[in-house]
Amino acid sequence: MSHHHEDFRIHTPDFAELNKKLDRRRFLTYTSLGLGAAALSTLLGKRLMGRPLPSAGSDGAGGLEEDVLSSIPHFVPRAKRVVYLFMSGGPSQIETFVYKPKLVDMFGQDLPSSVRNGQRLTGMSANQSILPIAPSLYKFGRAGKSGTWVSELLPHTAEVVDELCIIKTLYSEAINHDPAITFFQTGNQQPGRPSIGSWIDYGLGSDNDNLPSFIVLISKNGQKDQPLYARLWGNGFLPSKHQGVQFGSGKDPVLFLNNPDGYDGMDRKQMLQYLSSLNRLQNDSYGDPEVEARIAQYEMAYRMQTSVPEIMDISKEPDDVFEMYGPDSRDPGTYAANCILARKLLEKDVKFVQLYHQGWDQHGNLPTAITQQCKATDQATAALIKDLKRRGLLEDTLVIWGGEFGRTVYSQGKLTRTDYGRDHHPRCFTMWMAGAGVRRGFTYGETDDFSYNIIDNPVHVHDFQATLLYLMGIDHERLTYKFQGRRFRLTDVEGKIVKGILT
Amino acid sequence: MKIMMLDISVFVGHLHPVLVHLPIGILLMALLFDLLARIPRFAMLKTAVPVVLLAGFLSCVPACLSGYILSGSGDYAQDVMTAHMTAGFALAAFTLVLWCTTQPVFRRRFQLPGNVFSILLFALTALTSFTGHLGGTLTHGDDYLTFSLLTERSRPRPDSAANAFIFEDVIEPILLRKCGHCHQPAKLKGNLSVASLNALLKGGKSGPAVVPGRLDHSEMYKRITLDPKDKDYMPADGKPSLTSSEVRMIKWWIEKAGATEGKKMSELNDSRSILPLTASLLGLAGGDADAGQDDSLQRPVNPAIPAQLDPSLIEKLRTHGLTVKLLYKKPAMLDITLPANSGKKLSELQDDLSKAGRNIVWLNFSNNSLDDSDLAVIRQMPNLERLRLEGNPLTDAILSNLAALKHLESLNLNNSKFSPAGLTKIRQQLPGTRIYCEKL
Repeated sequence: MSHHHEDFRIHTPDFAELNKKLDRRRFLTYTSLGLGAAALSTLLGKRLMGRPLPSAGSDGAGGLEEDVLSSIPHFVPRAKRVVYLFMSGGPSQIETFVYKPKLVDMFGQDLPSSVRNGQRLTGMSANQSILPIAPSLYKFGRAGKSGTWVSELLPHTAEVVDELCIIKTLYSEAINHDPAITFFQTGNQQPGRPSIGSWIDYGLGSDNDNLPSFIVLISKNGQKDQPLYARLWGNGFLPSKHQGVQFGSGKDPVLFLNNPDGYDGMDRKQMLQYLSSLNRLQNDSYGDPEVEARIAQYEMAYRMQTSVPEIMDISKEPDDVFEMYGPDSRDPGTYAANCILARKLLEKDVKFVQLYHQGWDQHGNLPTAITQQCKATDQATAALIKDLKRRGLLEDTLVIWGGEFGRTVYSQGKLTRTDYGRDHHPRCFTMWMAGAGVRRGFTYGETDDFSYNIIDNPVHVHDFQATLLYLMGIDHERLTYKFQGRRFRLTDVEGKIVKGILT
Repeated sequence: MKIMMLDISVFVGHLHPVLVHLPIGILLMALLFDLLARIPRFAMLKTAVPVVLLAGFLSCVPACLSGYILSGSGDYAQDVMTAHMTAGFALAAFTLVLWCTTQPVFRRRFQLPGNVFSILLFALTALTSFTGHLGGTLTHGDDYLTFSLLTERSRPRPDSAANAFIFEDVIEPILLRKCGHCHQPAKLKGNLSVASLNALLKGGKSGPAVVPGRLDHSEMYKRITLDPKDKDYMPADGKPSLTSSEVRMIKWWIEKAGATEGKKMSELNDSRSILPLTASLLGLAGGDADAGQDDSLQRPVNPAIPAQLDPSLIEKLRTHGLTVKLLYKKPAMLDITLPANSGKKLSELQDDLSKAGRNIVWLNFSNNSLDDSDLAVIRQMPNLERLRLEGNPLTDAILSNLAALKHLESLNLNNSKFSPAGLTKIRQQLPGTRIYCEKL
């Protein structure tokens, strides 16, 4: 594209455009297969050939992608939006939703090897001489009309249990945090694939032009025991415009979005217009899709300068809302405040809101730590359900609560009557969903007396993902994107829709 | 130990199709050598013929043995199999006799003339071919290698899905293509043939393959819808599965069409919904492979919603500033949102909204300062399932506009000016509707 050689170039706009869009892979494809087709189309006339040669489309795979997107929706959707409360670290199912009274009599006994059945353990507890069974320190009670067992650590969740669809038989393939979260969010343990929210944005687009359709909020009051990486809401190989946008918890929820001090912003629009024309100039000569993404992001950022401060300001919420969500909710950046924010974003038709709350990785000192975690999240979680319900939003919003795996029935480290820890357990753990399309006051799946193995109705991570997409109207087998010569899916080559939890 | 023996016998039986090719090749070679030896340059081959014949006989032994074991599985047409077995044993015996004639012990008593020997070798080759042909008939069916393949015209392709005969044009070709290799009169795996409706109704070892109207009793339907990893799954042994469209068509045929034959699609009750799928299977225009998808995943759709909608109308609604989403394509179900605080006057949108009215299923007019008179347009939307009107100064006067919404699942009247009396009234009018009416 050097200016010095312009004399030697063919000066037709079509050629210039094609020239820019051809990367190595497509060059090879088109010159080998394409030339034959081109020759044939000249002979037969373009009409006979049906589809014209792939022209300079702005997106990756051109015609294929159009075929994929034009087939959506595959089902009548049940949900328009999702709020996914991700409890990072792996909350213990045994202290929350899984009532296993028989464990009390087995206190301190070694976990029978017939139960463990050769299951691999992490390096943290694999060398223990005994795997002592640790019953829950906390009592369980029946809650709601459904009479669902809920731990005393979750008194507020117990109040809304009739709205929940509790799945006790999730299982995952990964045993450590990062691969397990990456698996949950992207369908693959290795980084590099698009996350659920990005797939949904790619498939369904946005319902609100002034806000990103995939927004991530991270609580400041969760203990940062395990890190979170931006790739968990990354777009992977999808075009960059589909990536999730993280809203921070401080004064500036979106970094560098507000005007700096001493600048009144009067000429901001003019400045952005000039920047945009520069970008377009660049795009005209290089045609890099990233430039187009950048232009779109600047435009979105400009609109967000108005929309974001308005939506992120929860101070104008009435007092009864703060009372509902609990005392933390007045402190921006806490989980409770993020729950209020999530509700506001959902009201604005943001499609996928994901909250991350860290600190559930309780290898030791579990009783104290899980009490704190529940205290920080229980009331606000329940309030979010109640709030969405009274606003009529639970009709078409899907709420999801859960972590990347569960925890072991045996204690990691020393077991005493008041203290113990639990190691990672991917073979069965609990999540819940509520709202659009899922059964209310319902429990799905059976586990054994140790909450160690699944007895009935297992739900693999890919099954969960397939079901989530189904509720949004998408067939997980048909939402694909071609990258490096292969069509990729969120659920790879697996995933079955969990029909048993659907209304 | 018995189980072990059974396994080995099955395994040996399955070796038969491999082993039979040894005698075929070797015996052909005997003939070839015998003929070539007539040319002086190759005269020395004459001495090789007895050795080759002996080798041929020895290779016949395991072929016969394994074939005998395989015949015990009972999955084959009895008469063809008996003929094949007799021919096979005869072939082995004939080979042995012919070999004997070449041996010095025999030749001392009786010298077989060279030409007669060659003729007998020809006869041996002919018997080999005949036996092989019978074997092929058992494996591939009697129509596998016939001239009819070259000459026979298939049924004329129907010109439209409505004129297609459900069994003859649609179901039968699927079954023959996907199941016919093993389940046909000459092979009869599991004693089942799919070659005619009667054979399907009669079924095989595991009961009738098809029971009209009863999917749960139709063994064939059960087998093709199992988990592909299940040992009872059909087609077995990794042969190509039925596509989901084919399965849906078969399901409809058994369940809704009473597994009938000799009827056109248009003569069957309620066949309209399945026509696009039929057309897609037949490769006709107007096909839509999505039609009649897995019912358990597809929510029943209100039949009053018009199937089609002018796409230009959607564009027009969008230029008005409405957010228009397609909830489903056939029928065209719309989800329309008037962005909050849009400042739009509904009177400007009324005409185009009315035109698309029967296709609108979800509607969101929330927070737009609409008053009662704006809502007359809702009368044009009888198929609404979700209606959001919250945040508008609406009063009890809109009741009459909502009364006809038979399909309404939820109605949001939060932050409106509805009175408690009005609320009671609307609850009576719309008993199946979830109504939200709070001051927030």
